[in-house]
Amino acid sequence: MTGIGNCLTFARWMGLILLIAIPNRALIAQGHLNGAFDEAIQFAQKRMVKVYGATAGRVEGFASGVIVSDDGLILTIQGVFLDGTNTRVTLPNGTQVPATVLRRNREMQLALLKVDLATPDFFDLSSEPVGDKGDWVVTLSNAFKVADGVEPMSVNLGIISLRSSIEAEPGKRDSAYQGPLVLIDAITSNPGAGGGAVVTDRGQLVGAIGRVINSSETNTRLNYAVPVELLKRFVDDTLESAAPELLADRMPGDLGIEVFRFGGPLSPAYIDRVVKGSSADLVELRPDDLIVSLGGTKIGTIREYDEVRKKVFIGEEVIIVVKRGNSLIRVPLLPAAKVDQ
Amino acid sequence: MNVSDTRFDRIPQISRPAAMAVCFFLMTGVFADIARLQSQDRESDGLASPVDPEALKKGLRLTPRAFRAAAEKIQPCLVTIESFGGSSTLSGRIGGIRQRGEGNTTGVIISPDGLVVTSSFNFINQPNAITVITNDGERRVANVLGRDDSRRICLLRIEGVSGLPVPEMVPVPDVRVGQWAISVGVGYGDSSPAISMGIVSAVNRVGGKAIQTDANISPANYGGPLIDIEGKMLGVCVPMSGEGQELASGVEWYDSGIGFAIPLAGAETFIERMSKGIHIQRAFFGIQSENSDDAAGDGGIRITEIIAGSAASKSEFQKDDVLLKLDDQDLPNVAELRNVLAKYYAGDTVTILFRRGEEEKSVQVELGAPIQPEAEDTPSLFPGNQQESRTRMSQQHRWLTTLRKGSTSLRFSQTKRFLSRQHAFDPEMVKGRESFAGTAVRVLVHK
Repeated sequence: MTGIGNCLTFARWMGLILLIAIPNRALIAQGHLNGAFDEAIQFAQKRMVKVYGATAGRVEGFASGVIVSDDGLILTIQGVFLDGTNTRVTLPNGTQVPATVLRRNREMQLALLKVDLATPDFFDLSSEPVGDKGDWVVTLSNAFKVADGVEPMSVNLGIISLRSSIEAEPGKRDSAYQGPLVLIDAITSNPGAGGGAVVTDRGQLVGAIGRVINSSETNTRLNYAVPVELLKRFVDDTLESAAPELLADRMPGDLGIEVFRFGGPLSPAYIDRVVKGSSADLVELRPDDLIVSLGGTKIGTIREYDEVRKKVFIGEEVIIVVKRGNSLIRVPLLPAAKVDQ
Repeated sequence: MNVSDTRFDRIPQISRPAAMAVCFFLMTGVFADIARLQSQDRESDGLASPVDPEALKKGLRLTPRAFRAAAEKIQPCLVTIESFGGSSTLSGRIGGIRQRGEGNTTGVIISPDGLVVTSSFNFINQPNAITVITNDGERRVANVLGRDDSRRICLLRIEGVSGLPVPEMVPVPDVRVGQWAISVGVGYGDSSPAISMGIVSAVNRVGGKAIQTDANISPANYGGPLIDIEGKMLGVCVPMSGEGQELASGVEWYDSGIGFAIPLAGAETFIERMSKGIHIQRAFFGIQSENSDDAAGDGGIRITEIIAGSAASKSEFQKDDVLLKLDDQDLPNVAELRNVLAKYYAGDTVTILFRRGEEEKSVQVELGAPIQPEAEDTPSLFPGNQQESRTRMSQQHRWLTTLRKGSTSLRFSQTKRFLSRQHAFDPEMVKGRESFAGTAVRVLVHK
């Protein structure tokens, strides 16, 4: 063993000579050239917690969380693991404290916890979006419960792939969460990662890692964060719930089109019949035209057609686009009261 | 810039002289390294000291701007592909993914008059109609011209366009392992594409046809471009794996750090073939074989079995023949035969030199396509009703989309109840609804 020890010492000694001989390189070996991320990570690690709760069946009983106030407010994801009486939070210094659930939000699948903690180290939530597409992000989470006790969170590097502006379109994302997303290219869709932090290379919180969800558009797991401006409103309790659409004084209209339904709800919306004298008849829509878009929404299936069809009103013009052969025909339709046959 | 290869405090702990030698070696290496880095940096960004921590930090913080600029440069060349209909419930799962997803997909314009290359995966459910939205927001009809199953790509033509922008392509020999690679795709449904960054992990993968990358490749960007840091195109993102041959194999590796893109630089040959409507398939010879160990000692591959209906069976080959060369390429072992065959396509004619007993012979063989299992016989029509189970519905769906021309058929109209309109199947009736040849809708086979 002494031999190895000697060699070690010698190697270090030679290393030192090299470091002195080549000043630029010395900085690297001394750890001063770690790039732009180490400070951001150190900053964020002091603001991360591990959350433990009840295990229910195959649902994991753990998650990640971020400290968002100087008096022990902690953001994490909503889940059945918070339903038990024994919710605990492991603080950055390794101590474990009991937590109570202050608030939950179904749409965003977030939960706000309170623990007994006074700390200067917390994420100051921005009310404005943080980070643009292409910006570096560092994710911190306890995915797969790899870190235990005082051990710091697991860290991954990626960029912001897209700030998606699609909000709560029906059936677009078959998730519990519908709203703005920050899609990232670091893989975070793993058990236990939910509630983790996504931060910029300067340590600013971009958002919190959301629950594992599938995108119905791509049929893949999404790697995303719930954006910080929404977290802020959730913590401040200023989230307005989506107001129901005002439908007063508007009567659902009929387009005068029957689509071919035999193929089932997922088949394309071919026109099977056009009601004589209807608006569709007047603009010369024909059987076998394929409905491509209605009222600005793409119609991929009969199901999508039915969704949009319910939102046309008597006297309110909608644009329909149909495919006939190799051409697209774009015509206005004026929904009317249903014509009796 | 990679600086992590200079961990001097981790010199292998062997012996004192060895360590000295290693140090000396490293030292010379390091000097050369520094000189190279410095000269590179002076050329590229004018930074005085290449390893100044602040400069490094600044450089890192500049890269997101480069990512964005690269994506913006390629964006006018992208199209959003919308597909309509097709079998939405394929039998079972495709590599862990139940189906393709409902969203739009990505394509890349490769000619000003509207040729678009995309991933065949995007049409795996054989849609009845395809439209594309170009960068100017216009929606147009597109038709599939041909596809290349060996590369998992297909060629579309946008009808009635001219003067479309095309991307700058990086020549394949210029692609370097380790260079930045950014995947771009509109599959998440936003008009602005999503990007994922990584590096080129390998070149000449999967029979020399693909570039490998660790950027996320998934249904969100299949058909979209993999670009370099300057926005030039490296290839088209596709699902692929070294193993499976099915169109969707490789999807199970989505977002895994192992992704593939098909370079299009110098691809005139296969693009032209696709544009003529040719369905390019990988070459299939049709033998089972083992490495020959006979006395001649010159390697070769011994045929142990010939698969019925294959190219090999249509030629004069017999069991125990030993294959020696294919078009002057030596066949030392079974693995090499696979590699050599990967360069050919179904329909190519090759010359094979083989040995039977003492005699060596040369024969010309037209390579075939992989033999498809016989299509299952479609069961007879069922009367649809409210209680139809989901499985039955999806079965029915499959019949609807796998019809071949010439069948006797019934057409249903729900508005006039079943069997109200009956006629012999007329291809004209479904004209314009066919995206893949032979696909039709709204027609059921009656037995």
